[in-house]
Amino acid sequence: MSDPGLSFTPSASEALVEEPSITVRNVSKAFRMHTERRDSLKERFIRGRSRGHHTFQALDGVSFTIPRGQTYALIGHNGSGKSTMLKLLAGVLRPDSGDVIADGRISALLELGAGFHGELTGRENIYLNAAILGLTRRETEQAIDRIIDFADIGEFIDAPVKTYSSGMYLRLGFAIAVTVDPQILIIDEIIAVGDEQFQRKCFDYLHSLRRKGTTIVLVSHALGIVEEMCEGAIWLDHGRMRKVGPAREIVRLYLDEVNATEIKLASEAAGADAPDATEEADASPARGGSGEVRVTDLEFVSAAGVVAPVLLTGERATFRLHYEARKPLEDVVFGLGFFTETGINVAGPNSGSGLPPVPVLAGRGTVDFQVERLTLSPGSYGVSTAVVSHSHTFDYIDRGFQLAVRGSAGGEPGLARMFGGWSAGPATVQPESSETSRSLDPPGQQPIRRPSEPATPHPTETAHA
Amino acid sequence: MTTTVRGQSTIWSMRGLIWNFARRDLKSRFKGTALGWAWSLVVPLSTLLIYTIVFAVIFRIEPPPLGNGRPGNFTLFLFAGLVVWTVFANGINTGILSLLTTGGLLKKVYFPSYAPVLGSVIAVLAQSAIEVGVLLAIMVVLGNTSWTYLLVLPWAVLFVCFLSGLVHALAVLNVVFRDLSHIISVVLQLLFYLTPIIYSLSFIPEAWQGIPLRRIIGANPLTEFVTAFRNCVYDLTPPGFATWIALAAWTAVAVGFGVLVHRKLGLDLGERL
Repeated sequence: MSDPGLSFTPSASEALVEEPSITVRNVSKAFRMHTERRDSLKERFIRGRSRGHHTFQALDGVSFTIPRGQTYALIGHNGSGKSTMLKLLAGVLRPDSGDVIADGRISALLELGAGFHGELTGRENIYLNAAILGLTRRETEQAIDRIIDFADIGEFIDAPVKTYSSGMYLRLGFAIAVTVDPQILIIDEIIAVGDEQFQRKCFDYLHSLRRKGTTIVLVSHALGIVEEMCEGAIWLDHGRMRKVGPAREIVRLYLDEVNATEIKLASEAAGADAPDATEEADASPARGGSGEVRVTDLEFVSAAGVVAPVLLTGERATFRLHYEARKPLEDVVFGLGFFTETGINVAGPNSGSGLPPVPVLAGRGTVDFQVERLTLSPGSYGVSTAVVSHSHTFDYIDRGFQLAVRGSAGGEPGLARMFGGWSAGPATVQPESSETSRSLDPPGQQPIRRPSEPATPHPTETAHA
Repeated sequence: MTTTVRGQSTIWSMRGLIWNFARRDLKSRFKGTALGWAWSLVVPLSTLLIYTIVFAVIFRIEPPPLGNGRPGNFTLFLFAGLVVWTVFANGINTGILSLLTTGGLLKKVYFPSYAPVLGSVIAVLAQSAIEVGVLLAIMVVLGNTSWTYLLVLPWAVLFVCFLSGLVHALAVLNVVFRDLSHIISVVLQLLFYLTPIIYSLSFIPEAWQGIPLRRIIGANPLTEFVTAFRNCVYDLTPPGFATWIALAAWTAVAVGFGVLVHRKLGLDLGERL
């Protein structure tokens, strides 16, 4: 699987080098796997040392450095060694060989509220948990009001933690972690927990830490977050270093491979019962579902009403799904998923949200999804199709169709184009004589001075200063 | 193999954390009970009452006289020995499980594994401090006082180190061999009768059916600790030089055992728990 040509070369990380905050040098870690653990003496006496054990090489000669003040993500499939690496960085585990060197106070958020004792109150647990994270009593006393404030759980702070809801538990755990003010922070998927408000709080906090120059290492399966938050990414594959480099690039390479593997598996599966499909193996996308209905084609119909290879941003567009059903079905929902090349899901319209169900008869048919103005920005998109009923999937094709979108005129940044008009609202008119007030004048206020003028700003007006 | 991610830590630098674990143990122990802290006095006093009835009333064991020349009082004689035993047995019984109960945490955050163990020992000591206070108060009321009370301090330092080293070794070993705590509870029962708590060493025949009983019991480190404590507060005779050497040697052995087990097994508990 691991192609030697893709194996780690230090150039990518060395290019970023200033001062390494974390240095991982040739680290290996193996775990002994028992089919059944023999921890009790009786088992050792009766059956001897367990013979069936074998070692599982969780990490094998991994090396990388993370520069100070940067945010790095560890990515890879399940079992690739991400969590083991994180635990080595946190000091929970020791490597079998190699070095893990860090040059600052490390705080690890491997689990929020891990040290809470149910019988103790929130306040008592703050002291305990802060001590575990390395705070002295004085530091904790200085921070305790801030912690209680941040956790925002009201009078529950003096109630035993066992009476907390899971949300309160997390909030308190996070609030304590906030105060540790580490130089290096290790995070394991915590962003995925809690409600929306809590997640925002987490993100705000992480961003403020980044601004302060904290080095952050995180494990996340949310690749969108990785791309957005991280400067760099480290791709682990079966315990080996696959590649390290800028986050976007690594995520894209990783996704490419995941897709390729999926396609290969899908085509192998398809090849088993339909030998003629092997020809298309390279192009055929990942496909799932029980198959009572299959999407056979997806056509893009332009504003002119013809099937077109390209759609235009801002124009009317129709997506025409062709399907073939083996039997008549009721309550069927058709869905589309639009993905950028980097794997971001831009939109996912479906026929289920409050609309009458589309009846499906046995045989072939089409379903249209029409938008008045296509809001996708110019670029190329992968389009997934799905046919489902409640939670049952009849057919799913992951990014099986390619859509090219071109812009009609003028470029705007972003993934989506928002069609709207600008107009000025009421504003206070500042006296023009004062120089300070003039410099504070936002340009948007200028048209207000002539209420009779239309709202669209005239280029000439901005020249008045 | 040097991983600086764990940083340098000593028992002294970890004192805040050890103390917090001790507080956790103390606070959670009696939470939600009606009598609360009173239990830490009720339990030993009722043990004392039961043993007094059984051994002084039924078996009529004659206690040695008090240090101030008054006739001996079995309850006080027993109390002076039982206090030491209670600290020892409670220390072992709660300490040996302290890593398993705190264990999940060691998989999430690194801290030295001795911190929760020492915390639980301190919690046991704090509970027993009340008992010792009651014992000394009764002795003072009976006029059984002497300068030998001061020797309790160096004795206590040695005893706490002895207990801590032993408990930490057992707690770590118990993670690897989970049966250990059950074996230990049987061993403790035996040890209770092999230690001169309800009797004094002089009651024991030199040899019984060819078995050198007194020497076996005398070789038990707890015999040294219990006898030395009783000498200080009951007999009011200072323990001899040889006794101090023996106490120090046993302490060194226990601490060495604790350090050895810690180095061998105590650093990788994160993957064993």
